[in-house]
Amino acid sequence: MWRSKALMTILFGLAVTLFFALAYPHHLHFQEQYQLFLFEGSYVRDVLSVPGGLADLLGRFCTQFFLFSKVGAIILGVLLVVVQLMTARLVGWNWSYGLSFVPAALLWVFLLNEHALLGGVWALILVMLATWDVGRIANPLVRSLVTLIVAPLLYWLAGPVAFLFAVLMLLREVRDGTFVSRFLGLASVLLLCVLAAVLPHFISVGASRLWHGVHYTRYPEVFPRWLWLAVCAVAVLSIAGLFVKRWYEPAKKWVRPMGSTVVVALVIALGVRVMMNPRTEQIMAYDYMARNQQWNRILQTADREMPNNPLMVTALNLALSMKGLMADNMFRYVQNGVEGLLPTFVSDPVSPLTTSEAYYHLGMINTAQRFVFEAQEAIPDYQKSGRCYKRLAETNLIVGNYPVARKYLLALQKTLFYRDWANETMKLLDNDAAIGKHPEYGRLRSYIVNDDYLFSDRDLSAMLGRQFMANRRNRLAFEYLEATYLLSKDLDSFVNRFNLSESIGYPRFPTVYQEALLLWWSREHTANEQMPPGIDRSIFQRLNDFYAMTNRKAPVEQIAQRFGQTYWYYYFFVK
Amino acid sequence: MKHPNHHTFHTLRLTLPTGVSPLCSLWEPKLAPCNNNRGRRFVMLLLVVGALMLASCAEQVSNARQEATTPEIYPDYVDVTIPVGIAPLNFGMKSDEAQLVDAVITDAKGHTLHGQGRETTDFDIDDWHKLVSQNVGDSLSVTVSAKLADGWHTYRTFHLYVSTDSIDYGLCYRLIEPGYEVWSKMGIYQRDLSTFEQRPVLENTQFQGCVNCHGFNRGDPSRMSLHIRGPHGATLFLDEGKLTAYNTKTDSTLGFCVYPYWHPSGKYIAYSTNTTRQVFHIRDANRIEVFDAASDIQVYDIEHNQLIITPSLKTDSLYETFPVFSADGKWLYFCAARALPEGSMSLDSLHYNLYRVVFDAERGSYGDAIECVIDAGDSLTVCFPRPSYDGRYLVYSLANYGQFSIWHHEADLWMLDLATGERRPMTNINTSDTESFHNWSSNSRWMVFSSRRDDGLFTRPYFTHIDADGHETKPFMLPQQNPRRFYRELFMSFNVPDFIRGAVQMDNVKAVELINADYREPMGVVER
Repeated sequence: MWRSKALMTILFGLAVTLFFALAYPHHLHFQEQYQLFLFEGSYVRDVLSVPGGLADLLGRFCTQFFLFSKVGAIILGVLLVVVQLMTARLVGWNWSYGLSFVPAALLWVFLLNEHALLGGVWALILVMLATWDVGRIANPLVRSLVTLIVAPLLYWLAGPVAFLFAVLMLLREVRDGTFVSRFLGLASVLLLCVLAAVLPHFISVGASRLWHGVHYTRYPEVFPRWLWLAVCAVAVLSIAGLFVKRWYEPAKKWVRPMGSTVVVALVIALGVRVMMNPRTEQIMAYDYMARNQQWNRILQTADREMPNNPLMVTALNLALSMKGLMADNMFRYVQNGVEGLLPTFVSDPVSPLTTSEAYYHLGMINTAQRFVFEAQEAIPDYQKSGRCYKRLAETNLIVGNYPVARKYLLALQKTLFYRDWANETMKLLDNDAAIGKHPEYGRLRSYIVNDDYLFSDRDLSAMLGRQFMANRRNRLAFEYLEATYLLSKDLDSFVNRFNLSESIGYPRFPTVYQEALLLWWSREHTANEQMPPGIDRSIFQRLNDFYAMTNRKAPVEQIAQRFGQTYWYYYFFVK
Repeated sequence: MKHPNHHTFHTLRLTLPTGVSPLCSLWEPKLAPCNNNRGRRFVMLLLVVGALMLASCAEQVSNARQEATTPEIYPDYVDVTIPVGIAPLNFGMKSDEAQLVDAVITDAKGHTLHGQGRETTDFDIDDWHKLVSQNVGDSLSVTVSAKLADGWHTYRTFHLYVSTDSIDYGLCYRLIEPGYEVWSKMGIYQRDLSTFEQRPVLENTQFQGCVNCHGFNRGDPSRMSLHIRGPHGATLFLDEGKLTAYNTKTDSTLGFCVYPYWHPSGKYIAYSTNTTRQVFHIRDANRIEVFDAASDIQVYDIEHNQLIITPSLKTDSLYETFPVFSADGKWLYFCAARALPEGSMSLDSLHYNLYRVVFDAERGSYGDAIECVIDAGDSLTVCFPRPSYDGRYLVYSLANYGQFSIWHHEADLWMLDLATGERRPMTNINTSDTESFHNWSSNSRWMVFSSRRDDGLFTRPYFTHIDADGHETKPFMLPQQNPRRFYRELFMSFNVPDFIRGAVQMDNVKAVELINADYREPMGVVER
């Protein structure tokens, strides 16, 4: 029989692991980038200083491994299996064995949300452990006294999920205890209520959070519905186990337990399918790839499926330019105007990060720094970010602000996975020559403008122009400059700046630029006239075909089918 | 709770010569009275074991190489002047290479205090206070040794001068990350200057908003004006425990009241109201430019719950800001600059001068004539004027342009002698980095100011003693239990530090309830 149980549990764990490893890996990266686990006394003390601190700390500890999504997926698989096995202890091996997967499955759904924190899962595990351990005490008086002591402690360690412990122990006393032990059980529940009610007078935590969770989600004021459904599921199963004795009767054959498991598994699969958000995963994937400079992978991903989100377009355009393909291929992909190049700042923790990658590679280091800093400040649960600290160390290093760079590096030295990088980077501090030779930092430092001016996202092209003029080898700045004109359909400005491209040294006249130049030329010339130098005959011919098709008022779909990947289509048909 | 023998232990340790382990002679007599009590004996035994473990960390300074220079320590407390009651000035070696730092503080009477540690001297707080209080008006000698890779080095002795002037109970400040527009967790905190204890007055963790612009009347903790920005914006007013949330924006004024400064009578608070903007430098080391697109000055009459305005302080052609009352309350000082033309971003042409106007506290009215006190010219700007409470001096921040010297690395503090009109840079406290916001202790003998000298970004509070002749001493950084670790790990700036004469008692639950509520007490407006 145990083999069947083990098989079902292993399959469940495997399913969770495979799901997060293959279908949801960037959710795990996303989680990791919004925290910074420090092996530092003051950090641990801060986390432990509010109810739910231990669960939160364990959650954060595990989350740092999400930098490697496969490891993260295994951790999630193991944790949910632990929850399932502990629930199985409550329901026993019987026809309803499949129900033991319900709380773990609800936690799976809970974790589908990118803002759900692992601390919530740990809270439930701690509470179930305590319930199991204290429940083994046979003497009702001792058990209820221990409950009275453990309940507030558990509240502090695991947070409001500890109510589950107090309620279950009270019910245990109702079933098995004496008058005194029942009274003490009730006192435990009341004690937690009093704690939750009076704590706002002593700690700076919102009153409602002390009832539903101080830090189970990244948005602390949001009620973690799926987590509490899991808690309720544990409660219901436990109560059923306590009061419906026949549930304890072991099944004689494997068919019924296995059957119930299959039914629950189907429901789980359906639930996960409905609740998962593949679109969010895609956006996170683009950001992850931009963060890790996986330019080819971005292009391959975009070739498989066209980006459908502004942040994806931002990452894609950056990848195109980094690979030297922007001037040839940018209109092969969806474009959403200048916002797709360098989106306007939004005060949230997500969008500025991707945008900052573009500013960083453009050499607009102060601006990249601002966007990263602000993204970190916008993290709703006030955590710091390993990704942001690393980038802030880099930006300060590049601009020569060594004391501040050192401060970030010192913090990163106290992490598990950024430590080696921080140790290496420390060697660059106060060493202008070493930075100058660094393939990335040296190049970006050489891109910094000599004369200061004020940032203005309403005047993006002027800023990009200055950026390029500061270093005419900054191809990215030139292509972004020209792209702003093309995307805003300002052909005159595009052409006026085009002679600057000489310093870039394109081996041939890039396709997009040919299309744009020819379009500009065609406004005052006819097809019979001599075409401008450098234009391919085939492109000239295609423009004639394009005009012919639009002049005969062909359906837009047909035009899109044939010319959708040209600048001309963008110019005339994309609003 | 402190162990009953705690004080005795340290008193004994205080008298022992450096490097001698105090353990055997110290604890044996203390064990005797416990013989009749097994529980207490057990506890004592535990304490002895703990003390042994701690003492085993101490290492005797031996074969030290004598250095001719004073030590490079962090924070730099070499030859600073300190008040009685200040928390221990723990320090470590500036260089990370030191394996141990050892300090012996002695006075002329033969008292000695010893501290040693890997990162910090970690002086015993009771012994420190005792030693400092025994040497008021005198100096303490500090001999520092550091254990480096090649052994011990002992540096030239430096001194701590103990002033006869006392300092206030504590400091109140905002802690915030030095960012741009978005804020994370932050709050107003108070610190008891005699200990290392910091407690929040109000944090923004229970409402959406940013807390700033806190102001006390000469350090009186019972009355406070505090502004909350954001979706739950309000001016929170604490008056002898009673909290009220005001809407200080009216139809006839520019916006919310900020930069508060109390009238000495306690009947008025001067505010400015500013349309503040931020822009960001692409290259400059001064990352951010905070400036006003409009600003006026108004005085709040607490008793009549009305803002007193006057056309001369509410002009479109001038940006008026940073109002402060003179020590006698008869003058209202403020900064003002010619307004920029519409749409202009020539921020480097914004130069604020210091002006003053008569304020009649009896009638709650302004005088007619506005007098220029400091004309900063076309290449400098005056910010954050702060008159001493004894009426002798006014300290202000001087930068190249603009009104927010906090983000200007060139900003320095200057002192104006109100009796003679002379002004001079405070060279003993200025550095090449930012020195900006400052406030006076209630006896006008100490000044706290913000400086970014540590790393160029994170503002830290420093204290300087100002004698009767207006001379400032070398400043010392706010002491911490382990300053190197504390300031390294703190990614926040100390904003608007101000002295408090006692602990601020604010009902946090009530404050949060008021802030989160929709209702705001309106203010009337009267023109005089």
